[in-house]
Amino acid sequence: MPEIGYYALWLALIAALGGVAAGVAGGSGRTEWSEVARRAVWATFLLTAIGVGALLYCLITADYRLAYVAQHSARSMTLPYRVSALWGGQGGSLLLWVFISLIYASAAMWLLRDSQRRLLPWVAAVLLLNAAFFLALIDLPALAINPFTKLPPGDVMSDGAGLNPLLQHPLMLIHPVVLYAGFTGFSVPFAFAFAALMTNRQSDVWLRATRRWTLVPWFFLSMGILLGGRWAYEVLGWGGYWAWDPVENASFMPWLPATAYLHSVIIQEKRDMLKIWNMVLIGLTYSLCLFGTFLTRSGVISSVHSFTAAGWFGYVFLGYVAVAALGFFVLLWSRRASLRSANRLESVVSREASFVLNNWVFMAILVIVFWGTMFPVLSEGVRGTKISVGPQFFNKLTGPFAAALLFLTGVGPLVAWRRASPTSLRRQFVVPGLVGAAAVVATVLALGDALAVYPVVFWSLGAFVTATIAQEYWRAVGARMRNAGESVLTALATLLRRNQRRYGGYVVHLGIVFILIGISGSAFNEERLENVKPGETISMNDGYKLEYLTAKALPKQHYGGAVARLALFHGSEPLAVMVPERRVYWLEQQPASIPSIRSTLLEDFYVILTALEPDGSATVKIHRNPLVNWIWIGGYTFILGALVVLWPHPETRSDRRALLPREAA
Amino acid sequence: MSKGLQIAFGALVVAGLLGWYAATNLEKIGTFQYYQSLAEFRAANAEGKAVRVHGYVAPGSIERDLANRQLRFQVVNEPPHEAASAEPMPVLYGTLETPDMFQDGAEVVLEGRMASGAVFVADNVMAKCPSKFEAKTAERAPF
Repeated sequence: MPEIGYYALWLALIAALGGVAAGVAGGSGRTEWSEVARRAVWATFLLTAIGVGALLYCLITADYRLAYVAQHSARSMTLPYRVSALWGGQGGSLLLWVFISLIYASAAMWLLRDSQRRLLPWVAAVLLLNAAFFLALIDLPALAINPFTKLPPGDVMSDGAGLNPLLQHPLMLIHPVVLYAGFTGFSVPFAFAFAALMTNRQSDVWLRATRRWTLVPWFFLSMGILLGGRWAYEVLGWGGYWAWDPVENASFMPWLPATAYLHSVIIQEKRDMLKIWNMVLIGLTYSLCLFGTFLTRSGVISSVHSFTAAGWFGYVFLGYVAVAALGFFVLLWSRRASLRSANRLESVVSREASFVLNNWVFMAILVIVFWGTMFPVLSEGVRGTKISVGPQFFNKLTGPFAAALLFLTGVGPLVAWRRASPTSLRRQFVVPGLVGAAAVVATVLALGDALAVYPVVFWSLGAFVTATIAQEYWRAVGARMRNAGESVLTALATLLRRNQRRYGGYVVHLGIVFILIGISGSAFNEERLENVKPGETISMNDGYKLEYLTAKALPKQHYGGAVARLALFHGSEPLAVMVPERRVYWLEQQPASIPSIRSTLLEDFYVILTALEPDGSATVKIHRNPLVNWIWIGGYTFILGALVVLWPHPETRSDRRALLPREAA
Repeated sequence: MSKGLQIAFGALVVAGLLGWYAATNLEKIGTFQYYQSLAEFRAANAEGKAVRVHGYVAPGSIERDLANRQLRFQVVNEPPHEAASAEPMPVLYGTLETPDMFQDGAEVVLEGRMASGAVFVADNVMAKCPSKFEAKTAERAPF
């Protein structure tokens, strides 16, 4: 079975390289090769799928002849975790990456076969070149990351080393796959942009065709980032969900130009502007996806969170990122004349302007995050010493820009195109503005002594944006009820169907509002570290009390350790029994603290058993995180909004097809 | 002014503002910290400066001071099971809360400063698995 996988991946590499050549030939005028290129995409996909299947088979059947299986799984692991061991190490996770990207590539070849016939050979070439790179990384023995490498017969053991216990968590079953579905998916719009530039076909047909192809990976990337934060919160036990770690930043950086693109592409559709800029954004997004992968795997940012790989792996990867990015931007530069638009920005008070501003803010945040993440590398190059940057840098600098974005989220969708008249401004913003102002007063009064700038800013802006969304829905539903005589629910359903992007987008914005409110609660985080004997009570602010009851041994199969029981009271009212654990995983010889969390809409109580001391006392860390659950609620709202935007409505699909011009045969 | 020039000017203004804001605000928080090994740190002899130091926990040196809610331990330059090290550096960490991996022999990165009296006062301790015999092939995290 390992042999099948090994040879399948080599054949996949050959198919990919052949497809690149066919795609280039087909795109350069020898159209008979276009079909070959398409088939090469499918062939590469199938062969890679065989490779993935073979590795999964070895993992599930615990074939410890393979070094990869031995290093990342164990007999004690259940089926889901044996499957997830596929992405437990370098070679397997790269294989997962290329596999998902080929799913996207094959889907693109199938779904866009009629509408983009001229572009498809170039798209195939780009996507297959991408796949070939990753397959080569896996296949070439020099880099030593092929998951099908066998252990020397004398070293084969009857059990494996097991998976890092921190990864044996349900969220880790989906977070990597979802994240990769985000990263790899951006290769499709990237390839289409490249193809459009290459063939110098500057119609916007491809833009509309690829909009869905950008929305889908953008959705997965957003979910992947949130899932990672939730995993960190539940498992890592430091009470937080985001530390601006280089690995975290690597996933966040592509999200910024991708979101900017989703907005500025609307400008291109409606006003035929920002065409060059949109190309820049697509190129930037995918380049950052690749760059982020490089950052995470190459060890160039050495913190205790990243992991090192073979020495020149980093250089090879960085070289590929540079080639991809440079190739794209050089091509864009050479075609810039044909992308110039006739239209100009007419007024600062216009929807175009607010979208442009929104793009500026996203770029500013990107610069901040990139600079902070890369600073150790740059400082080592310039000064010879590695200077690292802590989370305060990112928090302090991105705060004002996040507030600016929130403001624009309310203003942008409502302000008129081209030039907003004072009448239209008044009509649109009086009510939301008053709501925002009232929120300022309300928060200032509610906070009292605990007054802090950011909570007031974010809550009042959040109220403002929510009011704009409510107003939009209210007016639109009201208009349909009056004009078409529909009931409330029918009107709502019609709106969500007829103008998915707008009304689904509003729901997504609402999700962002919730997320930012959830983050702003961290201004009021409370933490305590206490050492208590059984029966003693810890008093917290606002009348909360934790009484340490007892600790028991944890006699589980895969881990040992202890669980402490603490009773949470508000005054004299019992609320919950918190059960934080301190585990030691037998096989991996690794300790882990599992927090006990009590969640309400208002706050989280988060308790960690730091240690059971030799004298029988327990050292306990308690976090009180206000509003943190609004982040996850925002995530669910986000999903709802994305579903509305992406939902394929049968009755509109045929309309859409009719609108999409056919290319001349 | 041409559009390109306007954009460049705007970008410069934004960059300048960011840089000025960063420069004036961040040194107070001490967010920029040097990262060096214990041997390098000792050689540099930078008393009082905020640094990040990399080393390994000396086996048997961890003392949990419950009364004062602090931790004392010692850090050496080389992985303890691989090579003998020069004199260990004493560390004082003002909390009992340590990362899960923190144990004898663990690879650590300390954030803090050298106080007078040759004791390193740590504000933050990060730890990685003590390396095992197959250290070269062991990978800790995915992707």
